[in-house]
Order: sequence, then structure tokens, then C-alpha cells
Amino acid sequence: MWRYLKLWLSLAKFSLLGEMAFRGNFLVKIFVEVLWLAILLVFNFTLFQQTTHIENWDVNQYLFFIGCYFAMGGLIETLFLENCNQFADLIRTGDLDFFLLKPIDEQFLVSCKHIDWSCAPNFLLGLGVMGYALWTSGWVLNYSQIFAFVALFISGAALAYGFLLLLTSASIWLMRNQSLYEMWWLFTTLMRYPREIFSHGNWATPAGFFFSFVIPIMLVTNVPARMMVKTLEPSWLAWYALGSAVVVLIVSRYVFRAALRRYRSSSS
Amino acid sequence: MPIIEANGLSKTYRVYQKKEGLLGALRGLWRREYKEVKAVESVSFTIEPGEIVGFLGPNGAGKTTTLKMLAGLIYPSAGNAQVLGHVPWERADDFRRRFALVMGQKNQLWWDLPAADSFQLHREIYSLSAEQFQRTLGELTDLFGVKELTRQPVRELSLGERMKMELIAALLHQPRLLLLDEPTIGLDVVAQVTIQKCLRDYNSIRGVTILLTSHYMRDVEALCKRVLVITHGKLVYDGPLTGIAERFGNEKLVKLQFDGTETPGDLGAFGEVTSREGPIATLKVERLRVAEVMAAMLDRYTVLDVSIHDPPLDQMIAKVFEEGTTPAPELVEK
Amino acid sequence: MTQGLRKYLKILRISLVERLAYRADFFLTTFLRFLPLITTFLLWEAIYRGSGTDQIAGFTRDSMIAYLLLVQISRMFSSMPGLSTGIARDIRDGNLKKYLLQPIDMLWYLLSYRGAHKIAYIATTALPYGVLFLLFHEVFTLPSAWTWVAYIVSLLLAFLIGFFFEACIGVAGFWILEVTSLMYIINIVNFFISGQMFPLDLLERYPYVLDVLNVLPFHYLAYFPAMVFLEKKQGTELLVGLLIEALWALALILLSRWMYRLGLRHYSAYGG
Repeated sequence: MWRYLKLWLSLAKFSLLGEMAFRGNFLVKIFVEVLWLAILLVFNFTLFQQTTHIENWDVNQYLFFIGCYFAMGGLIETLFLENCNQFADLIRTGDLDFFLLKPIDEQFLVSCKHIDWSCAPNFLLGLGVMGYALWTSGWVLNYSQIFAFVALFISGAALAYGFLLLLTSASIWLMRNQSLYEMWWLFTTLMRYPREIFSHGNWATPAGFFFSFVIPIMLVTNVPARMMVKTLEPSWLAWYALGSAVVVLIVSRYVFRAALRRYRSSSS
Repeated sequence: MPIIEANGLSKTYRVYQKKEGLLGALRGLWRREYKEVKAVESVSFTIEPGEIVGFLGPNGAGKTTTLKMLAGLIYPSAGNAQVLGHVPWERADDFRRRFALVMGQKNQLWWDLPAADSFQLHREIYSLSAEQFQRTLGELTDLFGVKELTRQPVRELSLGERMKMELIAALLHQPRLLLLDEPTIGLDVVAQVTIQKCLRDYNSIRGVTILLTSHYMRDVEALCKRVLVITHGKLVYDGPLTGIAERFGNEKLVKLQFDGTETPGDLGAFGEVTSREGPIATLKVERLRVAEVMAAMLDRYTVLDVSIHDPPLDQMIAKVFEEGTTPAPELVEK
Repeated sequence: MTQGLRKYLKILRISLVERLAYRADFFLTTFLRFLPLITTFLLWEAIYRGSGTDQIAGFTRDSMIAYLLLVQISRMFSSMPGLSTGIARDIRDGNLKKYLLQPIDMLWYLLSYRGAHKIAYIATTALPYGVLFLLFHEVFTLPSAWTWVAYIVSLLLAFLIGFFFEACIGVAGFWILEVTSLMYIINIVNFFISGQMFPLDLLERYPYVLDVLNVLPFHYLAYFPAMVFLEKKQGTELLVGLLIEALWALALILLSRWMYRLGLRHYSAYGG
């Protein structure tokens, strides 16, 4: 465990050094993300000129949700997305072989090799938006609430990582022509909005249930955000989110190994 | 105990047969057809500690596939193997710590960082102690003569220097077995020779076992006493390098110096003339007819000097590759 | 006997998995492609419910959904993924020579290539989009024949504007290195100012912003054709809109050709 932490720190350091070799690129990427956040916020304010609530989320609560989504997205993109995106390339070029030769867990090496520091500011921007939303809504400091939020945010990140790994593994024999980036972006549409928008209509309600409890992608952002600015309903949702994170992590590891096995028996 | 023991290793894989045209592509959405390709068929051999063995064969003969099976990267379809006392495709950590694979056309160093940083990462991955790492690194950079280059970004190195760095990275954890796939591909002659020398020296210092594939006969001639020849997935020769001529070469080159300033015009009757230069000519003659031809020629012309050679090894190998698996028939009994 | 049976069970299993994989591929990607659209619909329904009104910036709930669907059609015509970065790459790698050595003009060649590509793309996505439009057919009222004509004209002009705008950016690769980053930024801004995110009318509180956006060519890439179909642009407004669209198309064609010619001179002067 300690060994993996040390290795991860080295990888993080060398990723940063590598990134610094192309500072221009780094700055452009950050600029693009700031721009994207600005557009999201403008969109958000335009919507709230028309209505005071979106479902039962008021403007500050909704802003907090956006911040939470942005921070979550930034975290996943920084740590894992670029790595998983390269997986298909590693298979196509055969460079995956080098990963398999090392006396290190393959999943760790494939999904953690490169830390994409240029996405890290997203995480900070998201934190900033969340902080601003709390401040304008007159939130009073509450340590146990913060602790619960952090725990649920991490569990949400673990859940998202599990789904990303599943999608990555599936991309070996499904979706061979699509980029993982695009697929992940499309899939995470489901964590971009409060769960409640899926609570009306004869097909949206079952879909909302499906993506909350069967494939719980919506819980990734909904549970931590709700924990902080609203109340969790039902109250066992936090435990459900934690439990599903564990289950999805285990299942995704199993599927990833199956994908590797398949690669190793079909390639030459 | 042998380092590598391969027994009837075979690898068959399926390739998707893409159909032509729009209609074919649409049909492929529902039904796909596959073709079975036999990459390696029942290959068996053993390699002892400290050996350097050359693995020869044309493109697509199954060299890399065999190497990958021995490295545990892919599963064989049949057969078994023991490498360093392990079944390679079980990929035990202990096994992975004790060998290295280097592929000439792939690089695993971080492109934008100095090689020293990649080495550092290797240290973490193989959990090497600091002093062991420093000592090995010092030895290797001395041996390969690249001490000053390790702080330069890898992308700024020449191809040969990059290959040396790759080899150093592969040797840092002091593997007992080194698998090399085309280590000198794309390098100029000077770089090829230095890499060969480094490998030979390292082998004699450390006693590391090396199995290497190469297109370049020069690599093999410089490094290997023993070679394996594989064509169409089958092992067709396993023995000393010098034995290849006996096994596959059914022709000899006869070099003659005639009296006078020119070679006679009717030499073609004795064999294929491969070169003429002033009074000197080289003829390709069937092995079994050499004595007979020589006698006839000495009878007819004034010959000042004669020498008989084997054809160059790479030509012979090229011929083996072309002809596939059948060696010269009259020599099989030997 | 049991062994024989097991062999066939295995074959059955393998071929079943294979078939399912290919169909799953198709359905999964189609499903994922429509996800953003569906969630946006749901978001707007929530907004209409929350606002308690029937009209937001002149859009009813139905016409809002119709708008969001129609914007997809506009983008089918006007989006040119990879065009400018492709041109810039050709310039940088020296692949441009293939156009200079052969008697073809790069821009016209790429235009015909993209045209063919678009037709093929529209044909292959017709089925899933057809299903989607059928599902939401209630939100549409079919426009008159003249509106259809105007709609198709606006779409074709949108194709030209989309193509030649990206061509200009690509040809700028003669002078600037970072076309890819530039295009990233433009794409994000474009998502907003072309009206893909929401109808620009929502910005009614900022009339000067609207005025600026209406002068720029970007709203022709998504917003304008959709508004034509919804018959929200009529009479002189429609004609003037189409006229300005045509002028923009012409201007961008001329600009890209001029830049291309200038770039070639620059290229040959500095030896590529």
C-alpha cells in the first residue's frame, strides 16, 4: 500500500514536470475550462431569471450543485480520464504490453499512470463555486456536515471511477470506433442535473429510478450536494451511495481483468 | 536448470474478415466472419543460463509472438513453458521482477522527460533500494557510455542513444533473462555495433541470459553462438550458428584468379557467375559438385589462386525464409 | 457425449456474446448520443413547471423542445468536426504539397469531400433521429411550403458558413501554430453564441448582446434555421435574415480564398 502511494506520488511529480515542458498548452487548457464554467454559470443565471426554483432547488442550492459537479468532473479528469482514454490506444499499438510486464497491479498502472494536472484547476474552480454558493446562502460553519460532505464526495468519486473503468473495459469490445472522451462526456450528462428533474412523466420516473439505484450514476453528485445544501431523502441514500461505490469498484475491477484476459488471449 | 523450457508452444488467433463495400459493412454489423491464423505451431526448445540465443525468421514468422508468450504477455493456445521456474502467463510478481523485454520499435521511456526521471520511476516500480539503484545505474551508464545524456529529454536523443537508455531502463532491476525484439532496428551501423558490444559485455559481466530476434544477421553473428530459425510458425533449425551453412547451404562460392587480365567468357557452363572483376571471378556451385567442377576447370584454364567459401549467412537465411521449411533434400540424412 | 455437448454449448455462448456485443455497441452509443438532449428536455420541463408560466421568451414548452431538436438538425449541416485542425496539420506537416502537385484546389476539394460526408452522415443517422422526431411529433406543427424552402436554403447556407468559417481558421495555420487550441475555445464559445444551448431570445434583458450576436455569423449555425422552421422569422425579417446569411457565406468564401492565396505565397516564400 505504502509502496503504491510512493509510486503514485512519483507519477504525479513526473506528470507535472512533463506538463511544464509545454506550458502554453497548459494555460490554454485552463483558459478553456474557465470559459466553460463561465458559460455554464451564464446559462444558470439565465434560467433563474425565468424561475425561482428548478424542482425544489433554489438558485444558491443549484449553484452549489453546479460547483459540486464541476469539482467532481475536475477530479476525475485530473486523476483518471486521460489514462482511461489512452487505454484503447495502448491496446491498438500494443504498448499495453509494457504495463503488463511490470510487477505492479495493471489496473493501478493503466488508470493512474498520468496525472492530468491541467484539469486540476477545475477542481479548485468547483470548490470556489461551492464556497460562493454557501456564502451567499448564509451558511453557518458546521464541521460534521463538512466531514459528511467530504466522505460522500470521495465515495461519489469512487463510484464515478468505477463507472469510468467499466466504460473503459467495455470499450475494448464495444464501441470500438468511439472515443472514450465523448462516451464519458455523454454518460456523465446524468450527473450534471439534480435527480428530481427525472421525477415527472411516465418514462422519466422509471429512468430516474434506474439511474439512481440500478446504475447509480446520478448519485455521484446528487448525494454529496444534497448532503450539504438540502436534506438527504430518503435518509438511507448516503449508505446506499457508499455501498454502491464499493460494489461498482469490485465489479469494475473484475470486468477490467476480464478485458485484459481477453486482450491477452486474442492478440498475437 | 534451464532458464527457458518451451514445450509444444502454439498460438492460434482469429482475425476478423472485413467485407467490402457498404453492404458488406452493414452485414458485418450482424454477422462477422473470422479466419484462423496459426502464428506459432508447436515450438519446443530449451535455453541454459548465460546463453545468448538468436531467434531468426522473416516478418510474421512468429518470433514476436513466441517472445510474448515467454514474457507471459499472451496465453498460448497449446503447449507449456517454464521460464525462470515459472509458468510465464501466470505472471507472478516474482517472475516479472526477474526478466525484461525490450522492443526496438517501441519506447517506454517518458518522451518529454530526461531518461533519469524514467529510471527513477523504474526504481519505484521494482522497489529497488537507493544504493542498489545508484550502483547499477552507475555501472550501466558507464558501460553504455551515456553518463552525460541522462539529464536530457528523451525526445532530444538520437535513435541509438534512446535505445541505450531503453536497455539501461530494462536492466536496472538486474533481470536474469533479457528478451530483445529487434533491438537495433532503424539504427545506423555504428550504433548497431556499439549496442552489440554493450550487450556482449553485459552478458559476460553479469551472466544474463539473452534471447534476441533480429533482422540483421550482423547482430546475430556478433552476439549469438546458437540460433533458432522459425518460418511459418514452425521451428526449423536449432543449433550453432555455423551449422546453418551445413544445414541449409547447398551451394558454395568458388573464387578463382585466372592467368592474364580477363576471365574466360564461357565460365557460365560451370556454375552461376556472381561477379567478375579483372581476372577474378566468383562462381556459385552446388556443394556436391564442387570437386568435379574444380577438376574440370583446372584442366581447362590456368588458375593462379582458388578459394572456396560459404555464401554470406544473410543470403542463406534469406533463402531459407523464401523456401519455407524444406532444407536441401540430400543433406537431410546428415 | 457430454464433452461434445459442452463444446457446442461453448460455441453457442461465444457466438451469442459476439452478436450481442455488436448490437449492444449500436444501441449503447445511440442511447448515449441522445442522453444530453433528453436531460435538457427534462430540465426545461422543470423550468416551465417552476416558473408557473406558459411562455418563456416567446417559447411555449412545446416550441422549446421543438427548438432544441431543430438545433440538432442545424448542427448536422453546419458542424465540421476536424476540418480546421486537419487543414492546419496538412500545412504544418507539408502534406499541403499533394494539393499543389495535383490539379485540384484544396478548398474546393475539401468542400466536395465534406459535402459527400455530410450526405452519408445524414443518411445513416436518419433512422434514430426519425424515431426521436416521431416520439416528439406533438411539439411540431408542420410549416408551410414556403417556410420549407426558406428552411432548406438556410440550412444549405449554414453548411457553407460552417465550412468556410472553419476553413478560414484552418488556413490561419499558415501563420499561427496553435490552431487546435484556438478551435477548442471557438467551439466552446460557439456552443453558446450559436444558440445551441438555448434560444438566444432568452437574453432579451440584454438587447445589446442580442444585437451583437445577430450581426455575427454564428447564430446562423444553429439558431436561425431552427427559428425559420418554427416560423418565428417571417416576412421581411426572414428575407433580411437569409440575405445576411448569404452575404456571410459569400464573405467567408472570399475571405478563405484570399487567405489561402496569401498563405500559399507565404508558404512558398519560406519553403514550407
